[in-house]
Amino acid sequence: MKEKINHALHIFFFAAGFVILLLISSAIVIPKNNAKEAGMLEINPNGILAERNHSIDVLVLGDSEAYSSITPMQIWEQEGITSYVCATPRQKLDKSETFMHQAFENQNPKIVILETNLIYREFSTTHTLSQLLDNTFPVLVYHNRWKSLTSSDFGGRIQYTWVNDLKGYIVHKKVKSISPKDYMKTTDEAAKIPLRNKLFIEKMYKYCQDHGSQLVLVSSPSAKNWNYKKHNGIAKLAEEFGLEYLDLNLYEDDIAIDWSKDTRDQGDHINYFGAVKVSEFLGKYLKDNFHLEDHRNDPMYADWFESLERYKEKIASAK
Amino acid sequence: MKSYCSLGYLGIFLPIAVIGYAFLPKKYRWMFLLLCSYAFFWMLSKKLLIYILISTIAIHYIGIWLGFIQKERDEKLSTVERGEKKAIRLQYQKKQRLVLAAAICFHIGLLVLLKYSPFLAKNVQSLLTMLNVPLKIKIPKFALPIGLSFYTLQAVSYMIDVYRGTIKPDQNLGRLALYMCFFPSLMEGPICRYAQTANQLYSGEAVTYHNLTYGSQRILYGLFKKIVIADRLNLLIKSVFSDFIQYDGTVMLVGAVLYTCQLYMEFSGTMDVVIGSAEIFDIHLPENFQRPFFSKTISEFWQRWHITLGLWFKDYIFYPVSMSKRMKKLTMNARKKLGNHYGPLLAGSIALFCVWICNGLWHGSGWNYIFFGLYHFFLILSGSILEPTIRRITDALHIKRDSKGYHLLQIGKTTIFVIIGELFFRANGLTAGLAMFKKILTEFSLSSFVDGTLLNLGMDLYDYVVVLLAVLLVLAMSILKEKGISIRDMVASKPIYVRWAIYYSIIMLIIIFGAYGEGYAPIDPIYANF
Repeated sequence: MKEKINHALHIFFFAAGFVILLLISSAIVIPKNNAKEAGMLEINPNGILAERNHSIDVLVLGDSEAYSSITPMQIWEQEGITSYVCATPRQKLDKSETFMHQAFENQNPKIVILETNLIYREFSTTHTLSQLLDNTFPVLVYHNRWKSLTSSDFGGRIQYTWVNDLKGYIVHKKVKSISPKDYMKTTDEAAKIPLRNKLFIEKMYKYCQDHGSQLVLVSSPSAKNWNYKKHNGIAKLAEEFGLEYLDLNLYEDDIAIDWSKDTRDQGDHINYFGAVKVSEFLGKYLKDNFHLEDHRNDPMYADWFESLERYKEKIASAK
Repeated sequence: MKSYCSLGYLGIFLPIAVIGYAFLPKKYRWMFLLLCSYAFFWMLSKKLLIYILISTIAIHYIGIWLGFIQKERDEKLSTVERGEKKAIRLQYQKKQRLVLAAAICFHIGLLVLLKYSPFLAKNVQSLLTMLNVPLKIKIPKFALPIGLSFYTLQAVSYMIDVYRGTIKPDQNLGRLALYMCFFPSLMEGPICRYAQTANQLYSGEAVTYHNLTYGSQRILYGLFKKIVIADRLNLLIKSVFSDFIQYDGTVMLVGAVLYTCQLYMEFSGTMDVVIGSAEIFDIHLPENFQRPFFSKTISEFWQRWHITLGLWFKDYIFYPVSMSKRMKKLTMNARKKLGNHYGPLLAGSIALFCVWICNGLWHGSGWNYIFFGLYHFFLILSGSILEPTIRRITDALHIKRDSKGYHLLQIGKTTIFVIIGELFFRANGLTAGLAMFKKILTEFSLSSFVDGTLLNLGMDLYDYVVVLLAVLLVLAMSILKEKGISIRDMVASKPIYVRWAIYYSIIMLIIIFGAYGEGYAPIDPIYANF
């Protein structure tokens, strides 16, 4: 028995030592700034780290549909609402949760928009475990930074200074048209949402509630990815949790997406011209339904006008 | 859970299996291992689990049937006169052979159908087209259950061993099922024999602190080889072998050398993880590698590389062919005409040809794999034929064949032959392999070493340095092992702070210098596809 206790203690102390090593190495390799040059990964969503504390009204989470459809600067210019898109390609809900937690460390968004395309994307327990480990021990994500470590990485202060003028939006002006057939053809069928995904939505909904925020589900226009069956599945989910749900695929007259001009890849994602239409509509929807404050006359938000200028330059030169 | 080196296996599946196993009473442990093994199979191949279930049930009853025939034969033999015994033996041998042949045909037939029928159909179609026969063959495509080539060989070895009387037929279906599908060896081997593992698996020995630490050490070493070296080389190897046309012979050579290194590190690394996983349960699986790059001949190389496959071919193809009546007769006649060295070589070479054709085909259904097999057949056979000549030359030149320098020369020669073989093995088809080999011979220049080409293939200078240092570390460990020094025992004898410092260092080396995450594409288990 004594030997067993001894062995158990050995395992415990070895594991504790390992955790300490992971934490120390994480502190060394973690980028000390959110710029690409500093080694930061996923710089578009991580641009939110440099935003002034408690300055973001609306946080957008999602996959490529989100960063292709919503351009926060359009919403700012039109409504004075500040928003940021924390979206990554093929994002899964456990990753969305991570971005949400990260955003809430310094921000207090009143609205959290979850783009619904990712709600149907399945992921495994291993993926969630991997996500958890990555969040706890950044060395697992940034280990490759050993190639570019400098003396400031050892004990240096973390200071996020890179401001993303596109606020997470990714601009594409390319046009690859489509004439959608059976797009949003009505049906009573509802697509099934995986149980694990539902549990994550519930967790995120409760987290938002606890932090005085509201989770809103939004479906971006996509002739290829979206259909009425999926719409019904999300509508059912929204009803179940009492969430607001806005399906932008249903507002053909108001948004007027022209699939011969407003898509960059034959209906999979909309391009910049489509994103402007969607963001105009979304901005109005946010203002009308959630009474968000217009910050355009607030001197604290002057930097958003500076970003707007640079955003316009970037849009003008984008392809 | 794509591989044994994945988080899903090492972080979730294995810990659950170890904890569940450790807390169960001894008599239920084998059942739990079987349950885990089927769960593992299900996670990787879903309903294709049915194949291994059918195979297990089939060999169980075939074994019992063979045992029944043997029992009947023995009973009859005990009642008859001496003169009649030979006839009875022959009569029952015939019966047994019939049952065995049917069972082997069923298993190998299934393997051929699932794995080789698309290749066969494609070639028949090409032949028909060449002969202007207007016939269109539908190319079949089957989903392959995980580890099909491995468990089929285990099934065949079990039946042949029962037939030979080496083992008794197992009356316990559970034990046999566990032998067939023990999860650590299911995907990539080693190919176990019933006598080696069945009882160990069934006995349900406890998980001890010693086994846990030794098993974990072995797993760590395997992860080091796989994640630090093999995965780091993946981007370069993918670029070189998929776009070989745009590179010169130097890049081809570097690609072939690094692929050989990758294959060894991936396969032997995975074997370390597999054997280490089993060791935690106090199950000792047979070794699959014994420092193959210290081999002086190709023949020795194959006794040190994928050992369990080589032994399987030796026991179940080479010996039965070379020891058959016809071959014995052929050897006798050839010995008279060709002498004591070359005489037996004739029958041996026929058996060897069968082994290497099967070996090539076992690795995959493609002409490059057949070429790979024949290439090794040619090398081994020519080694045997030339042996007396080489001996005469070295004697005439007063070269000491047991000197270190001569051994190094032999090791170098063997390594070069292996690298050429692996080039064809990895190439996307035989034509591509030949074109790549031609480039090495005709387009070799040193400019790629200085113009930065090698730094634009998915590996920067840091990556090369890491690979070099990691390979040197593995080499140092291998030299120690080759000298008979047990590194694990050596480490175990050190004080706790030294031991822990070594363990922490290896873990942190894997974490920091491992090729995973952003910018890397981990290699899929190479041998799981065979």
